[in-house]
Amino acid sequence: MDDDTGTSTPAPVLAVRGLTKRYPGVLALDGMDLEVRPHEVVGLIGENGAGKSTLLKSLVGLARPDAGSIAVRGETVRLRGVAHAASVGIGMVFQEQSLVPNITVAENIMLGSEGAGVRGGLFRWKRMAELAQVQLDKIGSAVSPRARTDSLTFAQRQMVEVAKVLALEERTAHEPVVLLDEPTSVLERDEVETLFAQVRRLRERASVVFVSHRLDEVLEISDRVYVLRNGRVVAEVNPAEVDATDLHHLLIGRESTHSHYHDDAQQEAAGEVRLSVRDLQTAGCDKVSFEIHVGEVLGVAGVQGSGREELCRALFGAVPRARGQVLLDGKRVKLDSPRGAVLAGIGYVPSERRTEGVVSAMSVKENLSMAHVGAVCRGPMIDGRREHDLVDKWVSRLGIRTPSGDTRIGTLSGGNQQKVVLARWMISDHLRLLILDHPTRGLDVGAKSEVYELIRELAASGCAVLLLSDTLEEALAMSHRVLVMKDGQVTACLDAPRGAKPDPVAIMEAMV
Amino acid sequence: MTGTHTDTATEPTPPREDGGPGPRAPGRSRRDLALLIMPTVVLVLLLLTLSTRNSDLLTADGLLALADSAAPLMVLAIGATLVILCGGIDLSIAALAALSSVLFAMWIPSLGPAAAVAVVAVGGLAGAVQGLVHVTAKVNSFIVTLGGLALWSGIALVISGARTVPVTDIGAIQWAFTDVAGIPSAVLIALAVVVVLGAVLRLTPAGRWVRAVGHAEQAARLSGIPVGAVKVAAFTASGACAGLAGVLLVARTFSGAPTLGATLLLPAVAAVVVGGTAITGGLGGIGRTVVGALIVIVLRVGLSLVGVDAGFESIIYGVLIIGAVALTIDRAKLDVLK
Repeated sequence: MDDDTGTSTPAPVLAVRGLTKRYPGVLALDGMDLEVRPHEVVGLIGENGAGKSTLLKSLVGLARPDAGSIAVRGETVRLRGVAHAASVGIGMVFQEQSLVPNITVAENIMLGSEGAGVRGGLFRWKRMAELAQVQLDKIGSAVSPRARTDSLTFAQRQMVEVAKVLALEERTAHEPVVLLDEPTSVLERDEVETLFAQVRRLRERASVVFVSHRLDEVLEISDRVYVLRNGRVVAEVNPAEVDATDLHHLLIGRESTHSHYHDDAQQEAAGEVRLSVRDLQTAGCDKVSFEIHVGEVLGVAGVQGSGREELCRALFGAVPRARGQVLLDGKRVKLDSPRGAVLAGIGYVPSERRTEGVVSAMSVKENLSMAHVGAVCRGPMIDGRREHDLVDKWVSRLGIRTPSGDTRIGTLSGGNQQKVVLARWMISDHLRLLILDHPTRGLDVGAKSEVYELIRELAASGCAVLLLSDTLEEALAMSHRVLVMKDGQVTACLDAPRGAKPDPVAIMEAMV
Repeated sequence: MTGTHTDTATEPTPPREDGGPGPRAPGRSRRDLALLIMPTVVLVLLLLTLSTRNSDLLTADGLLALADSAAPLMVLAIGATLVILCGGIDLSIAALAALSSVLFAMWIPSLGPAAAVAVVAVGGLAGAVQGLVHVTAKVNSFIVTLGGLALWSGIALVISGARTVPVTDIGAIQWAFTDVAGIPSAVLIALAVVVVLGAVLRLTPAGRWVRAVGHAEQAARLSGIPVGAVKVAAFTASGACAGLAGVLLVARTFSGAPTLGATLLLPAVAAVVVGGTAITGGLGGIGRTVVGALIVIVLRVGLSLVGVDAGFESIIYGVLIIGAVALTIDRAKLDVLK
């Protein structure tokens, strides 16, 4: 990728060489090389798990790389944290916003580096507001420095974040590098336009790294784009020379996704209704109604805030005060507790595997039998032999790679942990509905494919599956039908039979 | 939107999925092993050291006498262990034991030995109430049981007129301070509690649920474990244990004392954490608390043997609790919680 580092290109502001970071079970960065030059917008794209987040975290000192180097203006640095990164001129606008809601904009912008805004331990409010105004003016934001942060819209807060990062340059005597992590994911189209205008303005006085999963946006705003896959840079492209389809192929790294999703295993769903939901009402979910048939996989598509996560949780009885009529095989299900849902034959695989999916300090065996421990009991006691046999059976059936059933589950790779969580529900003979909330999140390609195969098997055995996917591609490939949600309501429901999957564009339109 | 396949969800970060900070897999189990063995090693060393001062200590009679005096504390600490394993804390146990001792002494004239059963039931009921308030009103267990501490000691003071209540009918508590086959009955009662609750923790689904709730409450809940019921049960058992400890205390002093609580809470919590049960929940067990209670008692005996003023005892408990928690705390979990 040194193809265009000729003599004419200026020295990079930021150079990353051979950066490697390993987490248990995952090689998040695998010798990543890239550089950022003065006054350019560098786009970073990659699928989930490609290493984008880990790279950004390394660049602001939140993750310590195991190998490789980061050089800022030619000097190698070992970043110790956000404050240290800021002192060398690297600032980040976090995907989850990092502003304190109940203080003023000015306080937020100056937070941690109040400088002349504080004298003798006391705020000088006027001075603070002036100092903050300087930063806001840089991006032409009309937000008042005296406004309370939680009175702003999301887009305005995003601007305040950018202004906060720009305050860096006062302290470093250099033009900063600003990292924008998925800044557009929750913005409306016109807000995105505003942000882009600011990014272009920002380019006059800084270098920008722009991370997004929206390929068209990356192409629109970036001067150069790096494509990441499996912790490496697999391509460096000029946005003028490629289109979104090219990028997409580079991203996936394979022309066909056919075998990946085990398309041939998609079987026709039966006629009987397994789950019927009428007017489900909960925080973030407004009068949602749908049905799932026996043996059917129903994908739910929607952007963040669409209410699909809340829908999943409500169906599993995991949110308080959910109302609506839910019939499972014609019988009314109460939505008051996960326990009730489990007893009714519903299973749930949460998206936060490490904190909600597995009890990482307990063994594979204990995690696997957790939901249906009654099945391995003799009288009031757990029958050790029966449990052992059951666990052995499922470990070999799902190909779970673990030294033994007594191994602490936290030491396994993400994919194997996820298979244990799936097995937790599959061991039950009366599993009627399985709710999968981002079941392949953070898994590598091979593990994903294995999870897809299990979903196909489950559906073929008659279990109904409600699937929330990381990607639209996954939702389309795996589902019999796709339910589209927006702002807590169902906006479309499309059939997705084998070989005649609907156009993703149609789904996109219903989503945003 | 021209991207034909665009992600619909946010980017997960690998660390959230697979790595807490620092190496976990290899280091932890060795540390766990050390935590399991260390308390026993400390206990043996303490006993050996003290036996150089008093050679009677290591005889069968000496050890039994030690176990006998440890029995009430052991029962009290075992109850507290259950709550701590669930990830909570029960600060009311000592006050509840004091109240129980008063009730027991007061009820013996009318109920005879059966008063013990009534007292344990009342203890269990008090624990259940605290558990229910904790679970349904979602008040920290720390706060609920701190309030309970004040409440139960207050009731004990009021009903006893702030005086010790002597037991007039010694025959009615004979069973609790007699010898059976050469072993003090209080030791046998404590052993029975250890065996029963130990079996529940190790062999039944309920025991596994307790540990799952303590390790990762949200994961436990989303597996369909009845988290609220598990917690209420733990508090109930803790209250019942406090009631039984009150009965055993009466059998040692022949009176119910409303102010007992003040001197029992620290040793009981010390016994739990010194035994190696993590205050963060999930990790630990009854057996560890037995060792912890013995350590506390041996320390107490040892201090009086070497002639240290009783005022120093409290200082030692304070240091012991902080030190033991610093050693046993599950730091990986704190990262997740914060």
